Order: sequence, then structure tokens, then C-alpha cells
Amino acid sequence: MAYSDKVLDHYNNPRNVGSLDKSDPNVGTGMVGAPECGDVMKLQLKVNPATGIIEDAKFKTFGCGSAIASSSLATEWIKGRTVDEALQIKNTDIVNELSLPPVKIHCSVLAEDAIKAAIADYKKKQPAAEPQPVAQEA
Amino acid sequence: MEKDNCWQCGHRSAASLFCRFCNALQPPVMDYYAFLGMPRRLKIEPGELEATFYRMSRLLHPDRYLRRTPRERQYSLEATAILNDAYRVLRDPVKRAEYVLRQEGFNIGEQRGNDVPPELLEEVFELNESLEELRGGDQSARPQLEQARQRFLGMQREADQELDRLFADYDARGDRQTLASIRALLNRRRYISNLAGEVEKELL
Repeated sequence: MAYSDKVLDHYNNPRNVGSLDKSDPNVGTGMVGAPECGDVMKLQLKVNPATGIIEDAKFKTFGCGSAIASSSLATEWIKGRTVDEALQIKNTDIVNELSLPPVKIHCSVLAEDAIKAAIADYKKKQPAAEPQPVAQEA
Repeated sequence: MEKDNCWQCGHRSAASLFCRFCNALQPPVMDYYAFLGMPRRLKIEPGELEATFYRMSRLLHPDRYLRRTPRERQYSLEATAILNDAYRVLRDPVKRAEYVLRQEGFNIGEQRGNDVPPELLEEVFELNESLEELRGGDQSARPQLEQARQRFLGMQREADQELDRLFADYDARGDRQTLASIRALLNRRRYISNLAGEVEKELL
């Protein structure tokens, strides 16, 4: 199966490979895996607590080219976005950008799950600061 | 007409592979165990399965039906295809377990990352990282790679033994809890065999 040029580009020059300090309270870590193909993906993001903007993102993926490209692209996309904006990224956006064939769609799902897992981890680390406004019936 | 009646003579509950009244070949059932006439067990004696396969291959061979009805010719083709699939799947412990899991409503192909226990992902990630360190190295890393290979093969053997135990448990109890454990173990085993495969490539 031929990989698209964009997949090859990310595969050959992956962006943001590496890791962030897991114990940093502003860093969220997402570790996900696809047992069918043996892939495992770690995605980390660092949030500026004042602005809620993701200032840095790193990933490390052991898996096929599409899994590496999907996570590489995911880190590129979430940088500079707010946490809430990052949560809007859908696996289908990744599929379209990388022209992934149907058999590789699960790689993009993995990347979406990794973003969500990293953000969930970040949120878990935040002290329950201001009480959330409770929606009141008018 | 009842579903189990013979398509040719209409006798009731006459059908297994052949009608026991008129001997016409019946449409094959899709369930591998039922088709082979075997109890639905996860532990299978390989010799027994093989013997059943060869016996049925002879009985169902399309050449034997050249002078029978068109309907039987068609059934013999269908049955032979199912027989080959059934044998291919049931002779392999992993494929067999996946087959039973699927029948019991477990997702196999579409598990999301959160179906996998985090400890397993951490472990697999670390194993991958240590393998990656060795991979870039020169000849001096070879003994360590060899060690890693032995380690992965050992883990694989342990997983296989554990699978065997869980098969026996499931055959005794038939519970979903054991099936869930089997699925988890299959996930772990797949990761391990991938790692073992990666090391093999390095050592070539």
C-alpha cells in the first residue's frame, strides 16, 4: 500500500518527537494503544495555566507510518490552541489531511484518543480551583 | 417447512450434514463448531480436529457431487469453503479464541485505546524504548538484543500457558469474566509477539 506524500513527510521528518516532564502539573500525558496492530502512542502537552493555551506538545509512537504521521500531525495542530479547541479535533480531520486509506483510519482514531487522554490527564492534575458555575433553571 | 427439515424429502429434523432418510447433502451450517460436529470448547485436541477435517474433506469434496443434483453440487462447494475456514480458524488457538469472543459479542477489531489497561501500555512503551536504544547500536548491542529476544519469547510462552489455563477455565465455567480475561491476554500477547518480531528483524 502506498503512503500519501503527507504521511511520508511526517514519517521521515516527524515533528515534536520527544517527551515532556510527566510530573509537571501543567503537563498532560496520554498513552493509548491499538492492540490489533501492536501500536502504542504517547502524546504529551504543556498548557499555560494563565491562558489555557497549549504551548508545547511532544509525542512518541511505536507503530506504522500512518500512526506516526497521525500523532505527529496531532502535536502540530494542538500547539497554540486552547485545551477546548484541541478537544474539537476529530480523527476525520486527520484522515482528510493525511489522505489515510480506510484500513488506516484506526491510526487517526488513536491520535484523537491520545489528545483526549492527554487533556484528561492535564485536567485531573489541576486543583479544583474556582467552583464551576452551576447551570440554574430560569 | 421447518428450518431443520430436509430440503429434498422434507423429513423433520433429518438434517445434519446429510439427511438421514434420503441421504441428500444439506445446506451447511455457518457455525464452525456445529458444522464440524464438535463441542464448543476452547481447548481442542489438534489430532482430533485434523482427523475431522480430513474425514469431512473427503465426504464433501465437490468431485463426489458431479452426478448429484445441482443443489447438492452448490452445497458441496459452500460446505468445502466453510470447512477450510473452520479448520484454519479452529486449529490456531488465538484465532479460535477470537472466533468465540466475537460470537459472544466481544469487539475484536475495533478496540479503542481505552480498552487496554494503562499498565500494559506503559510496559509495552518501555520495552519498545529499550529496544530502540539497542537498535541504533553497533555489533556490541547484539548480546543485549539476543537477551531481549529471549525475554520476549519467554513472555510469549508464559502468555500461551496462561491462555491454555484460561481456555480450561472457560470450558469448565462458560463465563464472560473468563472471556474478558482471554481478550485482555490476547491483546498483551499481540504486543509481545510484535516486539519479538521486531527483535528478530534486528538480529537477522
